[in-house]
Amino acid sequence: MATFKAPVDDIKYLINEFLDTSELNGNPMFDDMTPDLTDAIFEEAGKITETLLFPLNRSGDEQGCSIDNGKVTTPDGFKEAYQEMSEAGWGNLTCKTEHGGQGLPHYIANAVDEMMISSNMSFSIYMGLTIGAYNAVEKFATDELKQKFLLNMVSGKWSGTMCLTEPHCGTDLGLIRTKALPLEDGSYDITGSKIFISAGEHDLTENILHLVLARTPDAPDGIKGISLFIVPKINIDSEGSLAEANHVSCSGIEHKMGIKASSTCSIEFENSNGYLVGELNKGMKAMFIMMNSARIHVGIQGLALAHTSYCGAVVYAKERLQGRALTGIKHPDKVADPLIVHPNVRRMLITMKAYTEGARALSTWLSFKLDVSYQSNNPQQRQQADELVSLLTPVFKSFLTDIGETVTSMGIQVYGGHGYIRENGMEQYLRDARICRIYEGTNGIQALDLVGRKLPAHMGRYLRHFFHPLSAFLEQHAEDKKMSAYIQPLAKSFTRLQNATLFIAQRGLANPDEAGAAASDYLKMFGLVAMAYIWSKMVAQILHDKGDMPDSFYDAKLKTGLFFMQRLLPETGSLLSNIMSGSDNIMSLGENQF
Amino acid sequence: MSIESVAVIGAGVMGSGIAAQIANAGKKVLLLDIVPKDAENRNVIAQSAIQKLLKAKPSALMHKRNAKNITAGNLEDNLNQLADVDWIIEVIIERLDLKQDLYKKIDAVRKPGSIVSSNTSTLPLAVLTAGLPDSFSNDLLITHFFNPPRYMRLLEIVSGPKTQQQAIDTLSHFCDHELGKGVVHCNDTPGFIANRIGAYWMQTAMLDTMRLGLSVDEADTLSGKPMGIPKTGVFGLIDLVGIDLMPHILDSLVHSLDKNDAFHEQAIIPDVVTKMIAEGYTGRKGKGGFYRINKTSGKKVKESINLDTGEYATSVKPSLESLKPAIAKDLQKFLSFDDKGGEFAWSVLSKTLCYSAGLIPEIGDNIEAIDRSMKLGYNWTYGPFELIDKIGVDWFIDKLASTQLSIPPLLAAAKGKTFYRFHDGQRQCLTLSGDYQTLTREDGILLLSDIKLQQQPVKKNASASLWDIGDGVLCLEFHSKMNAIDPDILAMIDTAVDIIPNDYKALVLYNEGSNYSVGANIGLALFAANVAAWPQIEAMVKSGQDTYKALKHAHFPVVGAPAGMALGGGCESLLHCDAIQAHAESYIGLVEVGVGLIPAWGGSKEMLSRWMTNPKRAKGPMPAISKAFELISTATVSTSAQEAKGDLFMMPTDGISMNRERLLFDAKAKALALLDGYTPPVKLELTLPGPTARTALNLAVTSFVQSGKATAYDGTIADQLAMILSGDDTDIDELHDEDDLLTLERKAFMTLIKNEKTLSRVQHTLETGKPLRN
Repeated sequence: MATFKAPVDDIKYLINEFLDTSELNGNPMFDDMTPDLTDAIFEEAGKITETLLFPLNRSGDEQGCSIDNGKVTTPDGFKEAYQEMSEAGWGNLTCKTEHGGQGLPHYIANAVDEMMISSNMSFSIYMGLTIGAYNAVEKFATDELKQKFLLNMVSGKWSGTMCLTEPHCGTDLGLIRTKALPLEDGSYDITGSKIFISAGEHDLTENILHLVLARTPDAPDGIKGISLFIVPKINIDSEGSLAEANHVSCSGIEHKMGIKASSTCSIEFENSNGYLVGELNKGMKAMFIMMNSARIHVGIQGLALAHTSYCGAVVYAKERLQGRALTGIKHPDKVADPLIVHPNVRRMLITMKAYTEGARALSTWLSFKLDVSYQSNNPQQRQQADELVSLLTPVFKSFLTDIGETVTSMGIQVYGGHGYIRENGMEQYLRDARICRIYEGTNGIQALDLVGRKLPAHMGRYLRHFFHPLSAFLEQHAEDKKMSAYIQPLAKSFTRLQNATLFIAQRGLANPDEAGAAASDYLKMFGLVAMAYIWSKMVAQILHDKGDMPDSFYDAKLKTGLFFMQRLLPETGSLLSNIMSGSDNIMSLGENQF
Repeated sequence: MSIESVAVIGAGVMGSGIAAQIANAGKKVLLLDIVPKDAENRNVIAQSAIQKLLKAKPSALMHKRNAKNITAGNLEDNLNQLADVDWIIEVIIERLDLKQDLYKKIDAVRKPGSIVSSNTSTLPLAVLTAGLPDSFSNDLLITHFFNPPRYMRLLEIVSGPKTQQQAIDTLSHFCDHELGKGVVHCNDTPGFIANRIGAYWMQTAMLDTMRLGLSVDEADTLSGKPMGIPKTGVFGLIDLVGIDLMPHILDSLVHSLDKNDAFHEQAIIPDVVTKMIAEGYTGRKGKGGFYRINKTSGKKVKESINLDTGEYATSVKPSLESLKPAIAKDLQKFLSFDDKGGEFAWSVLSKTLCYSAGLIPEIGDNIEAIDRSMKLGYNWTYGPFELIDKIGVDWFIDKLASTQLSIPPLLAAAKGKTFYRFHDGQRQCLTLSGDYQTLTREDGILLLSDIKLQQQPVKKNASASLWDIGDGVLCLEFHSKMNAIDPDILAMIDTAVDIIPNDYKALVLYNEGSNYSVGANIGLALFAANVAAWPQIEAMVKSGQDTYKALKHAHFPVVGAPAGMALGGGCESLLHCDAIQAHAESYIGLVEVGVGLIPAWGGSKEMLSRWMTNPKRAKGPMPAISKAFELISTATVSTSAQEAKGDLFMMPTDGISMNRERLLFDAKAKALALLDGYTPPVKLELTLPGPTARTALNLAVTSFVQSGKATAYDGTIADQLAMILSGDDTDIDELHDEDDLLTLERKAFMTLIKNEKTLSRVQHTLETGKPLRN
């Protein structure tokens, strides 16, 4: 049956042993992150997500959100849980201490986030959106606005949203129509319709702060004429107390495939008061600056659901008795052997495990690089980390959300017919995971971002921060016999990735369709190589400088890593063939032939 | 008769510039000017003009030693020496009385049959000769040079009814072959050809800019685009010429042109321009012009003037809809686009083209002469009639008709036709009668552009082609972006090396791009380096080395024929040729250190070999090694073919063509001359001193690094070069062949390309076009 066990051990291993945090040595925020402190955080997070959030996951899915006369009601138990989580500070881990937050780095907070998402993705969305809004206000708003809004956001009293999409535009935000008319007091009068607004309306908090992209009357056309505003659901008076309603209404909620307990709203602004956040016409710039962390967050959703699905699948594969092992009876005391004796079931389970643990390690590593990009005292280090994160963000978002779908689907498969039955809980993960490949920039858009923006940036400079360390790692372990089973496949796939990169750089310049046709396969190849690199780094460390985890933990890592290198990584070969076949096989069929 | 010695009278900017070009041609030239009142040094004007020539930028002399060909003198003491020269050029101020006085003095001393010419741009020949004896008029012409005389290729020659044909022929031949000029014979009409049309175009554009309220930046981008000079445009050009000259040019044209001439409508100097001149804003030579560089903020900021207010503001890149590539690339769309830009472009271009067409037969009866003049004298990529062909003759006529503009007879005669055509294997152009006239090239002119009209390439890929230029000679043309050497070009060299032994006799490397080659395409190498594709990069280096080595040792003569820049990998292609025939304006050098690399396609090896085997070298290997080291480590680029010989980028036996149009013919002749008894170069074997030499070379660099003239990383690069040139870890008994040196080149290259600082340099250069000092 659906089960959730928080991956506290794996997270502790990654943070305490695997991650090399030397880049931020001497930085006060990081020096505080001792295992004593962080282990306690992870253990507490494990407990509360297992006991408070996971039990609300399936019931929330069944009950969903409802709307009545513009008022949205969340599933039973959500409001109480929200309050409990907020009071315990789980919603403000990365917020600055001066605003009442925990001031934790991302590599710690993202590990906690994973557990929150794993246990109840819909619930986690309400908390995550507030953090997104906090970041925008904290980075770009005036002190006056910060004073007005930040404390109550951090405490969980008020929540936040991001209002980008409109009925006629999603990916192409240059087409936005929502109007912002300047008023005499310096504020703006906002009118327009937004759709697909997560947490746009709900009963969890007394007020909701909408961050809205809109256009002023004489703004330039397209993406360069968009500004960012904060628009509260209920106005706030000069004392900081709630005043009259601000003409923000919810005209409906979407009926979705998954994340049913998360309210996805259509929001109408009618002459609502709004305040400019950041510079006029620079709204997209603000969005871009927050984009890396927002997209990494979605990648973690893919990882998180993969993990929960794996938890359920393992329990079931050990309990469910069906057939006998091919090599003879393993459990003569039972009517049949458990599913886990069957190679094909094992194949699925270890695939799920290898992807999930690889994704978690990748997430830890990339989240740390994100911290370096924000916090390092060395400007060059900050820049390099920022470029590395910018390069890998589309890979991470797409590859991990693809994995989320692959793994949750396998989780159903392990259950056979019972996986398809709602009551068993496994199919919810697939439905919930499906959105991750779509929102925050579809995975197709991520692939285009990778080949169209990140690859050519500064003549390929971003690539250097990934390829050079990997190349040095291969050189370092070239003669290492213990590592050769890992290093050889990594080297092979790395060469494929190099060749594909040069192929796209060369061909894509002459014909952008070539780059476009290669993009998705290339991104997946990139993801596989990045994950293989991370697996190899884990292996290298375990083989040479093992820590205090039980031996079987390390042994499992080595075996799972080897499976990844031998069974999953070789897909880079077929991906390379796809890429090298060029764009003709995609583009030559005429539009009217479809 | 041939011209061996020349006198130039008038040592101003033009006179001394003309004298310099004659000196560049290796001829003796006497430069005379007046004796200033109370001057101690009676030759002071001419002497200081020569001093200025030595410092001129861009350089007027192709080699400093050419200054020795110029003798300074004055019109009082040295007048008699005019008796010794074959050609006397008068370049004094534009006053008829002074000119005629001078002519009388000249005529009294010059030798019979010597040629006299005036560089006047405003006085008709008929006026100059009025009242002078026939014996003088017979030998008098106008030779109108453009400024600066070394670089501007147009020379307008005007002869009168009395001028002897032999004088015309002798002078044309000399100016074409020796001075490298594109000679255009003009009628004796005001402004001749180029300035007549050019001044009309500039005035029209200036007045239309103001009429339509465009900015100077917008007007320049728009006005230059159809002509193929979008970077300068009209205002940039006037700044270059000198704004204060405009009233003079206008004045002389207004006074001498027929009162019905359309020029008069455009001959207005706007008040803002008058004010600019009065305040010293006369263009680049003054405080600035329509553009100026403001350095007050410590940075150089380009500013442009607002023609309404006369105030300067930071130049802004024009963002007119009509300038979007989708529109501006299509001339018909561009000229009919519905915005101020389209309106302006059409107004200026239609008036200029109609004016040009209306000047036939007044200023000349051959449209090609007019196109050529505008291309050589105003740097247009297309002449007026070529432009009409590009726009479409009938479309142009229809649009003129629809806007009620009158259609000149020549244009009417072109209806349904084109001004140029290729017919029966001949280039032809339209005449006023509506018939076509065949265009022939002079002997000794061979152009790839002509060959392309007549045949298909023998081989072709995306970046290079092989053309059969007759007599068994193939021409390898680069046509990649900026003629950068890339894998396709290398493949085409391999192909040439493959096919020539069976079907052809010799190879010429030549193209008609504005530069022979700016170097190897390092964008791809940078990308490969960013993804740590080291083996692929080494393979790229090796492949270039192999190709150039095969070119060098091929069993047929190879002649490199550069014009313009031949840098880095482009220079290396030349160093592997049997001989070079270079255009005089060739800028050759190994500039790899600028991007943090060293020449590794055999360039370091060839420079070392050239200096080591130089018969004139001093004893011991060190002077030769040091010289190669110095040239490469400082990225020396020769500023002319003559200088390239001094640096051994070219050898003493290599040839120089003064005239760009004669380059291919001369190169082909050189290749054919090498055929008889051709043997490939002997295999290279050198002994090199090893680590001690490396230390010595580094010592020199250290002082530059310490004094801040070079960065520490410059020192690292230089050390890698020193490693190659000293033979690395060797001793004096060991023999080094070509492959050993190539291995060292690769080793150094791979060391440097893995360095972050090199990658930053490459990236910076590719992104900004400027070097990075790190």
